[in-house]
Amino acid sequence: MSRVVEIPAKFDDRSFEQFAHSFGAGALTDKMVFDARTAQWASPFGLVAMLTAGQAVQEAGGAMPAFTVPVAEDVRRYWTRTGFFRHAAELFELHGKVPKQKPDEQSDVLLDVTPVRASEDVHTVVGRIQEGAARIIHGELGLEAKATMGFAMALSEACQNIVEHAGTGGWVSVHAYKFRRQLGRRVVVIAVSDAGIGFRRSLEATQQRRFGDRWGDAAALEAAVIQHTSRFRDPGRGQGIAGIKRYLSRWDGKLTIRSGTARIAIVPSWDDDVPLTEHLSPFPGAQVQIVIPAQEAKRG
Amino acid sequence: MRQTIQIEQVLREAVRTPYRDLVTRATGRAVRSSIEQALEAAGATVTVLDFSDVGLVDLSCAEEIVAKLLLRQTAGTFVLLQGLREDQLEAIEHVLNHHAIVALIRDAVSGSVRMVGRVEPDMRDAFGALETGEELSTDRLAARIGWTLERARSALDVLIRLNVVRASDGAYTVPLAV
Repeated sequence: MSRVVEIPAKFDDRSFEQFAHSFGAGALTDKMVFDARTAQWASPFGLVAMLTAGQAVQEAGGAMPAFTVPVAEDVRRYWTRTGFFRHAAELFELHGKVPKQKPDEQSDVLLDVTPVRASEDVHTVVGRIQEGAARIIHGELGLEAKATMGFAMALSEACQNIVEHAGTGGWVSVHAYKFRRQLGRRVVVIAVSDAGIGFRRSLEATQQRRFGDRWGDAAALEAAVIQHTSRFRDPGRGQGIAGIKRYLSRWDGKLTIRSGTARIAIVPSWDDDVPLTEHLSPFPGAQVQIVIPAQEAKRG
Repeated sequence: MRQTIQIEQVLREAVRTPYRDLVTRATGRAVRSSIEQALEAAGATVTVLDFSDVGLVDLSCAEEIVAKLLLRQTAGTFVLLQGLREDQLEAIEHVLNHHAIVALIRDAVSGSVRMVGRVEPDMRDAFGALETGEELSTDRLAARIGWTLERARSALDVLIRLNVVRASDGAYTVPLAV
C-alpha cells in the first residue's frame, strides 16, 4: 500500500513544514503518492520542494512516486507555466490531465523551474533572468535600476551553493506575486532547493569540533549564515551568503535557509518570522528562499 | 612595459558560453588561469584588466579573478582595473574588503587612477599626493602632507606592499597616473 504525502492547499515556505512532516513520516524507499488534488496555489518554494522530494526518492533508489495533479484547472495551468510538470514527469508518475503550454516569458514567472547541476546551469539562469528581473524589480517593485544586478548576483550565489556544496543537483525558480500575509505588497521570490548533503554534513569536517555538543543542523546554519564559514579552508570562501545578506539588508529583503531539521531566517522589519527553528521534520538537502519586497509608497 | 587584457574576450575563450557574465567559481578560475598565462607570457610590469562589455560580476568571480590575482601578485608588478560599472565595482570592493586589500581603478577616458578596497586614512592621503603622476621622495611627500618622515614612510611601505605604488631610486609614483 502506498504512503500518501499531502501537498498543502497553499504551498509556501510556511506550509512546507506540513509537507516535510508528511514526506518524512516513512522511508524514502516507501511507495508514495503525492496528493496535490486539493492544491490551490504554490509558491516557487513549494514547487522546487516537491521536485526535491521526488529527486531524493529517485536518488535513494525508491520506486517512482505517483503524483495526483491539482483538480483546479487554473492551478494546473499555472504549474505548467512554471515548468513544474515538465520536470515532475521525470521524477513522478503523473496522474491527471496536464495542460500542454509553454512557459510564458512575460508572466510573473521570472524564471521557470530550472535544474541546477553544474556551473554552466548558473550561467544559463543568470543569463535568462536579467531582462525579466529589470522589468519586475525596477519597473514593478520600484527599486533602483542597480538593484537588478544585485538581484542576479544573489541568485547566482544561491545557485552556486548547490554546485559547490550539495553533492547533487537541485532546482531554482523565481516568481513575482503579491505577498498578502505580512506585507500586502508585491515581492520577488527566489527559491533554490537541492536534495544533497545539507549544511551539517557539508561543514562537519571543519566546524563540528568548534561547536562540540552543540553541533547539529542549527549550528551548521549558524556557522554558514551568521559566521560565514565554509567547508573550504580557502580564506576567500563564505562570501556568497554574506553578499546575499548585504543585498537584502539594502532592499529590506528576507532570507531563509532550511537544512535537515533546522531553519534560519534573516528577518526584515516587516516580518515576524523566528530567527532560528530547530527539531523540524527532516528533509533532504537545503532549501533557500530570498524575498525582495516592493518599495513602500512614500506618504504625504 | 604595459599590456591591456580584455576580460570579455578572455571569458569567451575560456568558458565558451553565449553569456557575458562573470559568474561561478569555475568560470573565475578559468578566466584567472588565462590571465595568469597572459601575464607570464608578456612579462609586463603594468597590466590593465578591462571589464568593458562584461555583464554581471558575482562575488565568486570577483574573488577568483581579482582578489586572487592581487593576492598572488609579484612585487613590482601592477594590475589596474578599467571599464567597471558601479555594480561590478561593488562586488569587487566586497572581496577586497574581505581580504583587507586594495585595487587600482583606472578611468579609461580621463586616465585618472584611484584606489578602492580596504583603504585606511593614511594610505588615502599618501596616495592622494601621488595620484597626479608626480614622483615624490619620502621627504617631499611628508612635507606636502605635513607629516613626520616616519609616518610618510610607514604609509608608503603599506602602499608598496599592496602593489599600488611604484618605488624607484627613492622616488614614489602611482603606475599609469596622469
